[in-house]
Amino acid sequence: MPQIITEANLRSLIDSLVKESKLVVGPKEAGSMVLYQPLSNGADLKLGALPRRSSKELFFPICEDILTFGKEDGVTKVKDVDRASFPDAVLIGALPCDAGSPSILDAVFSWDYNDDFYLERRKKSTIVGIACTSCDDACFCTAVGYAPDSPAGSDLFLTPLKDGSYACNAVTEKGEKLVSAHGSLFKEGAAADAAPLAAPDTAKLDLAKIKEWLNTHFEDPLWQSIADVCLGCGACAFICPACHCFDINDEGTPDHGTRRKHWDACGFGKFTNHASGHNPRDIQNKRYRNRIMHKFKYYDDKFGKTLCTGCGRCIRACPVGIDIGDILNKINVQAG
Amino acid sequence: MNAKAQKAKGCGIEPAYYDAVTQAIRSEAVKVLKEGAVSAVIGYLPGRRKSAAVPAVVTTEEEAGRLIFSPACVNNLSLYLTKAKKGILPGGKIGIVAKGCDLRALAGLMGESQIKRDDLFIIGINCAGVQGAVAAGNGQLTEASIAKKCRECTAHTPEGVDFVAGTLPHLDGLTPLEAEELARIEAMPQAERWAYWKEQFSRCIRCMACRQVCPFCYCEQCLCDKNRPQAVESSPRPAGNTAWHIVRAMHLAGRCAGCAECERSCPMDIPLNLLNRRMAQELKELYDYEASMAPQEKGPLNQYKEDDDQSFIK
Ligand code: SF4
Ligand code: SF4
Ligand code: SF4
Repeated sequence: MPQIITEANLRSLIDSLVKESKLVVGPKEAGSMVLYQPLSNGADLKLGALPRRSSKELFFPICEDILTFGKEDGVTKVKDVDRASFPDAVLIGALPCDAGSPSILDAVFSWDYNDDFYLERRKKSTIVGIACTSCDDACFCTAVGYAPDSPAGSDLFLTPLKDGSYACNAVTEKGEKLVSAHGSLFKEGAAADAAPLAAPDTAKLDLAKIKEWLNTHFEDPLWQSIADVCLGCGACAFICPACHCFDINDEGTPDHGTRRKHWDACGFGKFTNHASGHNPRDIQNKRYRNRIMHKFKYYDDKFGKTLCTGCGRCIRACPVGIDIGDILNKINVQAG
Repeated sequence: MNAKAQKAKGCGIEPAYYDAVTQAIRSEAVKVLKEGAVSAVIGYLPGRRKSAAVPAVVTTEEEAGRLIFSPACVNNLSLYLTKAKKGILPGGKIGIVAKGCDLRALAGLMGESQIKRDDLFIIGINCAGVQGAVAAGNGQLTEASIAKKCRECTAHTPEGVDFVAGTLPHLDGLTPLEAEELARIEAMPQAERWAYWKEQFSRCIRCMACRQVCPFCYCEQCLCDKNRPQAVESSPRPAGNTAWHIVRAMHLAGRCAGCAECERSCPMDIPLNLLNRRMAQELKELYDYEASMAPQEKGPLNQYKEDDDQSFIK
């Protein structure tokens, strides 16, 4: 028998978690948009809209301090950030295209160097994903191997039912624990019919074929034709659930300051600018090529995964209408 | 007129108007390419999504025959003529499709000696308006989807261009939402206004879309990218965000063409054009300067006159 939770109980679950001093993050109205933000109670949860930015920021914040430094009696002292104080967190209401991203990013953040900031947050969080019931013409999760009902990456996965409640599928031990610790909010029973799922209007892409094409088309007129108009801003990368580049800056004065890690983007002209002044990606279409190569070839070469969940955010945000779904289709066709 | 009555009336621009502009652009672009009068035309091609159009540099008659004008043609294409985008255009004379607000940017760039009029073939549009954000939709212009700048446009009819595309349809007067918002903020006590902007800037993620889309942000080295030493904190935090927005507003004062591309491009919906307009108001009051479709050799902040107002120096 599946576990069921009513919408009211889902909101009560948030209230309980907040009372337990957990950091509860979920979609919340923020002015003209919805963002994944800390919820102060169950009523804050806003379901049914794709948040403007992905939920990666729970693990990989826009900006975080990694150490502070200051002069004491003429000696510079360095103080680490106390990672043990990061709170236990529950990400609730993450759509499949967001819930799926941390399990892609784990590979790079624990590769040649363990990013303790990311990994500590990751260890301490539970992801409650939710099946997606509405999409637009930028969505293409089904084309890249995800789906509106894909539980990949979720610890507990909720499926909206026609009667307004949710069927709960505990995917991992973390998910089971969350359910058993709040057993009174869940009940076992026969599930009503599932609410209709979102149905993105895109054909499935052959990612292996696309990768093969990328293997042999580092130089190709396609890059110029699709990306000369690219502006070189970071809008697409910043709101993407899978982009994960960051910069590190010391800010403050030599006597007192903070080392900060914050989002960066391979689209920026300065991203590969060498100290010598040489820039191997000297024109925008080479930077955009890197975006595609990294997502659909390099990351796959290294970690066997694709850096895209098909959320469509970059398509909606691009100021010049560059459409990664369209580009992948083009490559798919060229790859024969 | 109240907002309700406005709504009922709609902004009533027929799709046929955009079709006619599209046809005019196509035939002129094909013609100038065929004659060899230009080596390329910067215009708009349809996007995969109904509500999107993409800027494009077309060099063949075949491509020119696919150019469009629709409510999705939001971009200010003059950006592609600046040195920030160098290397993407072929040599020779360039054709460019320009709305009225884009023409002010072209004029500004001429005034700053960034481009030369003789190097351009300008296809000006009798422009009825474009959409505010490229949201999912059917691509039609409605009272709800029209850009705020277009509600208060004073540049519908192009001036000083080589070819005019389309005929302006009848345009209903629309409530000047942005002017109203500006007045509302202006009326706030200073502390409240500061709190308003602090809240807005706190959402900035420093993606720099506002800078990259701006035709006047063509500096090869932006002050805000400097890191040896750092001039403005580049991390998205209150200090650096506020500094960045002050730098942006100040460096564009007297240069901004009012195309509002920065605000449109901002993924965090920060109302940047309010700052642009406030600066423009200041320039008008202090120096009687306004961005226009006619190139002005020296902007007010690039020259000094003995009788300049100096009351702001305290
Ligand atoms: S590349 Fe674009 S569509 Fe893919 S996950 Fe990132 S933002 Fe979403
Ligand atoms: S502001 Fe005027 S010229 Fe510019 S797009 Fe709107 S209606 Fe056209
Ligand atoms: S576009 Fe918006 S979010 Fe990006 S840097 Fe500019 S103001 Fe900030």
